[in-house]
Amino acid sequence: MPRSYSAALPIAHVVLRILIVLNWLYGLAIIALLVVLPHEQWIMVAFKIPPSPDAARLIMGLRAIAMLGLAAVPLHYIVLKRLLAMVETVRAGDPFVAANAQRLQTIAWALVAQQILSLIIGVIVRVISTPAHPVNIDAGFSVNGWLAVILTFVLARVFAEGALMRDDLEGTV
Amino acid sequence: MAIAVKLDDLLYARRMTLTELAERVGITIVNLSILKTGKARAIRFSTLEAICAALSCQPGDILEYLPDVAAEAEAA
Repeated sequence: MPRSYSAALPIAHVVLRILIVLNWLYGLAIIALLVVLPHEQWIMVAFKIPPSPDAARLIMGLRAIAMLGLAAVPLHYIVLKRLLAMVETVRAGDPFVAANAQRLQTIAWALVAQQILSLIIGVIVRVISTPAHPVNIDAGFSVNGWLAVILTFVLARVFAEGALMRDDLEGTV
Repeated sequence: MAIAVKLDDLLYARRMTLTELAERVGITIVNLSILKTGKARAIRFSTLEAICAALSCQPGDILEYLPDVAAEAEAA
């Protein structure tokens, strides 16, 4: 086994654990934002937005985006937790198991949900963004994102087939 | 499984133990035991060849197809 592989797994393990913690912090930050966002006057002063119908729409849009961002937290958790479990099986030397195929399938569906959230956020950004108050959020349709979804679904099938082959091999004398 | 492994009978006829056969064919006693008890899902040609050579027999002496068992499995 190449040396880079032996280093990659512990690094992946640590990075995934850090990302799980950061995801919870990200969720807490969004909750904090949602607590602050009801105070429209405070936001309008902070962003120097004059009172107008556009401003009300902007704040409503930001609230909706924050809510959708909060919905993404459990989705990130699903992906990270399952990836961590998969890394554990690779470290244990037995990654081609049916459980990993199921984990990849779940990750793929979580990625679909994330892409849908991103599409909705992209639409909201288009609606609330005005030349006077441009909203720059990197959301919307992503070729790479949907490609990752397809790749993960395919990988789930590969793992399912691999697990079957592994089972067969185990019963071969 | 409608394929029966008759390794036990052959070993008895040759007055050979499973350990001796394992040593001769270079397969672990655990794997041979899996084969002997009919728990194996598949057998490699190389394994079959080694066993046939060690026991001076034909593959048909080791394996037997049981049509009755196959019919029962199909009905179930």
